[in-house]
Amino acid sequence: MKTGIFICHCGHNIKHTVNVKKLSEYFKKYPNVTVSQDYVFVCSEPGQDMIRESIEKKGLDRVIIASCTPSLHGEMFKDVLKKSNLNPFLLRRVSIREHCSWVGDDVEKNTEKAKRLILAGLYSAAHYVPLEEKRVDVTRSALIIGGGVSGLSAAAFLSKMGMQVYLVEKEPELGGHVRTLKNIWPAGKDGKSIIDEMIEELTGRENVEIFTSTTISGFEGFFGNYEVTLDTPEGEKKLTAGGVIIAIGFSPFDPRIKPELQYGKDDRIITTLEFEHNADTLQLPEKPRVAILHCVGSRDEQIGKPYCSRVCCINALRVGEAMKDKYKDSYVESFYMDVRAHPRGGEEYFEDTQEKGVLFTRANVAEINLSPTGIVIRGEDTLFGETFEREFDLVVLSIGMSPPVDNKLIASLLKITLDKDKFFMEAHIKLRPFDTAVKGIFIAGSCSGPKDVEESINHGRASAVKLFGFLNLGYAYVDPFISYVDPKRCSGCRMCEQACVAKAIKYDEEKRVVHVEEAACMGCGLCNATCPSSAISLKGYIDCMIDDEIGALLEAI
Amino acid sequence: MLQDKAEKNPEIIGFACSYCTFKASEMAGSLRMKYPEGVKLIQVPCSSRVDPAFVIKAIFEGADGVFVAGCHPGDCHFIKGNYFTRRKIAALKEMFDAFSMKDKLRLFWVSAAEARRFIDKVTTMYNEIKERKNVREKN
Ligand SMILES: Cc1cc2nc3c(=O)[nH]c(=O)nc-3n(C[C@H](O)[C@H](O)[C@H](O)COP(=O)(O)OP(=O)(O)OC[C@H]3O[C@@H](n4cnc5c(N)ncnc54)[C@H](O)[C@@H]3O)c2cc1C
Ligand code: SF4
Ligand code: SF4
Ligand code: SF4
Repeated sequence: MKTGIFICHCGHNIKHTVNVKKLSEYFKKYPNVTVSQDYVFVCSEPGQDMIRESIEKKGLDRVIIASCTPSLHGEMFKDVLKKSNLNPFLLRRVSIREHCSWVGDDVEKNTEKAKRLILAGLYSAAHYVPLEEKRVDVTRSALIIGGGVSGLSAAAFLSKMGMQVYLVEKEPELGGHVRTLKNIWPAGKDGKSIIDEMIEELTGRENVEIFTSTTISGFEGFFGNYEVTLDTPEGEKKLTAGGVIIAIGFSPFDPRIKPELQYGKDDRIITTLEFEHNADTLQLPEKPRVAILHCVGSRDEQIGKPYCSRVCCINALRVGEAMKDKYKDSYVESFYMDVRAHPRGGEEYFEDTQEKGVLFTRANVAEINLSPTGIVIRGEDTLFGETFEREFDLVVLSIGMSPPVDNKLIASLLKITLDKDKFFMEAHIKLRPFDTAVKGIFIAGSCSGPKDVEESINHGRASAVKLFGFLNLGYAYVDPFISYVDPKRCSGCRMCEQACVAKAIKYDEEKRVVHVEEAACMGCGLCNATCPSSAISLKGYIDCMIDDEIGALLEAI
Repeated sequence: MLQDKAEKNPEIIGFACSYCTFKASEMAGSLRMKYPEGVKLIQVPCSSRVDPAFVIKAIFEGADGVFVAGCHPGDCHFIKGNYFTRRKIAALKEMFDAFSMKDKLRLFWVSAAEARRFIDKVTTMYNEIKERKNVREKN
C-alpha cells in the first residue's frame, strides 16, 4: 500500500496552532506512507498539482488530506484523484481545522490531537476499496413551496428550462408579501405589478402546475424521487418531485410581543406594513408630528431576535419621505440605533431623506404613553446623553422580519434544520448558501433569513439553477455508501430486515439469506449495527474501519 | 504529595451523526469555540450505525468516556434511526450500570444548528469525568 499524506497549513489557520512540520516528519516513518508532506494551501492550484504529481509519479493508492472539514472542497479533491486515474473513494479527509486548530489554543496538545486524527484516517483508509458512485434515475420535476417573489423566480427559471414545476402556495393568491406592498424600494413600483409580471411569465407554460390554497401534508422518499402529498381544496393529491425548493418567506414581526410599545391599544400606533396599506387613509392633522421607531423586533436579544432584518431601515426612511412629501410642515423624527441602509443606493437615499427634513435621533426608547392629545415617547438620546419626552400624532414601528409561521412544520416534514434564529439553515453559510444538508432540497428567499426583494429573487434563481444541474440529465450520481451482505456469514435471522426503515432488505426463501436492494438503501448503517453475525456491512463505514479509528484515536494500535 | 501528582486528562470518543452533531461540531469550529482536546469525534452517517460493540471497544482501548450523538428524536434524516440508537444505548447503559460505569456512556441530541449545545454537552461530560478520574487516581 502506498499512502500519501498531505497536511495543509491553511495559511495561518492550521499552522498557527498545530505544528505541521512535526506532523509531516512524524508520518514519514510509517511503512505504508510513501509521501508525507505539508503545504501552505492544499486546495490551491499548485496544491492540487502537488497531489496529482505524487499520485502519478509515486503510484499512490491512498490519499489522506488533513485540512478543513470534509464537507468543504469535497468534490474538488475527489476530482484531483479522478484526474490522476485513482478511484475518488480512496481519498480520506481528516479535519484538523474545524476539529483541532480552531477549537484549541495549545500548540503541543493540538499537534498531538491532529496526529491521532490523521492516524485514525490512515488506519481507516487502509480498509478502503474503490467504489463506484451509484447512478439513480431522477424525475425531472421540482416542487416549489411558497409563491412569493423567491418561489416565483425559481419557478420562472425551471419552467423556462423545460422542467416540470409544481408551485404550491398556501394562500388563495400568489405573490407573498410583495403583492401587498405599494411602493417597492428602489424600483418605485407597485408590488402587485411586479408580481403580475412574474406570474405572466409562467402562464401558458404547460409544464407549470400551480396549486393555491394548498399545503404539503406528506413527504417521503429520497433525492431524485420525492413522494409528495398535497392538501388541495379539491382534496388530496400525490406527486413525485426530483427536488424541492423551499420559499415560504417570512412573517412580519408582531409588536404585541413587546407590550411596552402599546401596539394594538391605540390606532395611532401602526407598523410599516400597515402604513404601506393605509398611508392614504390615515387621519392626520395639517402639521402632523410623526415618530418612526427603527429595529422593532430586530437586534433585540431579550426577545430572541438578535439579527438585523436588513429591510426596515429603508422602510423607515420610506415612511419619513412619504410624510415629508405629503405634509411639508410635518415634524418627522426617526429613532434609530444606527442606520443600516444596506442595499445599493441606500446611503444616498438616507441623505436625501435627511435633506427633506426628517430628523434622526439616536435613541433608546424607554416608554410610550397614550394621552388624549397624542402619544408620548420618552427615552434617552444616546448621542447627547440626555433624556427626552415628546408628543406625536402618529407612531410608525419599523418592524423586522421573523421566521415564517410554518418553519417547524416544513422542517420536520422534510427533515431539514432550522438555524438558531429559526430560519432555515443553509449547508454552509458561504460556500453552499442555497443547499440544505439534504441532497436535492434547497432554500430560497427570506425563509433562510431577512432579505429584500432583489436578494430574494436572486436567491430563488440561484437555487433553481443548482437544482436544474442536479436533475437535468434525468439521472444523477449519489454516494455509493450502501449496505451489502456476505451470504456466507448471513444466518438468515432477518433481524436486519425488521430494522431497516427503508425496506431495502429482501429475504431469499430458497437460499435463506438476505440481500440489499441497492436503489432503496439509504445508507444509514442501522442494519450493520444490528446484525448479530456481522454479515451485513455499510460501504465506507465497515466495522474494521471504525474499530481501527477507535484504536488509533486512543493510540492503542 | 499526592496532590502534586500531574493531573490526568480524560480521553473521550464521540460518535457523531453526519447530518446533525458532526455539522454542529463543524460550526463550533468555524465559530472558534473551544473544547478540550481530549474529545475526539468519529463521523458516522447516522447514530444508528453505532454498534454497541464500538462503545465497548473504545472503553477496552482506554477511553474514559464515550458519547453517541444524533439528531433530536423525530428529526432523523433516516426517518427513525435515532429511536433505535436510543433503545440500544439504554440497554447498554443498564449493562454499564451493572459494572458501575454508567457515567462513562452518554447519549446526546444535538441538531446541526446547535454549536453551543455541542460545546456545552462535551465540555460538561469531559469535566465531570475528569473530576472523577482525578479523585480516583488520588485515592
Ligand atoms: C413592511 C415591509 C416593507 C418592505 N419593503 C420592501 C421594499 O420596499 N423593497 C424590498 O426590496 N423589500 C421590501 N420588503 C421585503 C420583502 O417583502 C421581501 O424581501 C420579500 O417578500 C421576500 O420574498 P419571499 O418570496 O422570500 O417571501 P414572501 O413574500 O413572504 O412569500 C412567501 C410565500 O410563501 C407562502 N407560504 C408560506 N408558508 C407556506 C406553506 N407552508 N406552504 C405553501 N406556501 C407557503 C406565503 O403565503 C407567501 O406567499 C419589505 C418587507 C416589509 C415587512
Ligand atoms: S435594517 Fe435598520 S431597522 Fe432593521 S434591524 Fe437593521 S438596523 Fe434595525
Ligand atoms: S441480520 Fe445479519 S445474519 Fe441476520 S439476516 Fe440480516 S444479514 Fe443475515
Ligand atoms: S443501510 Fe439502512 S437503509 Fe440500507 S439496508 Fe441497512 S438499514 Fe436499510
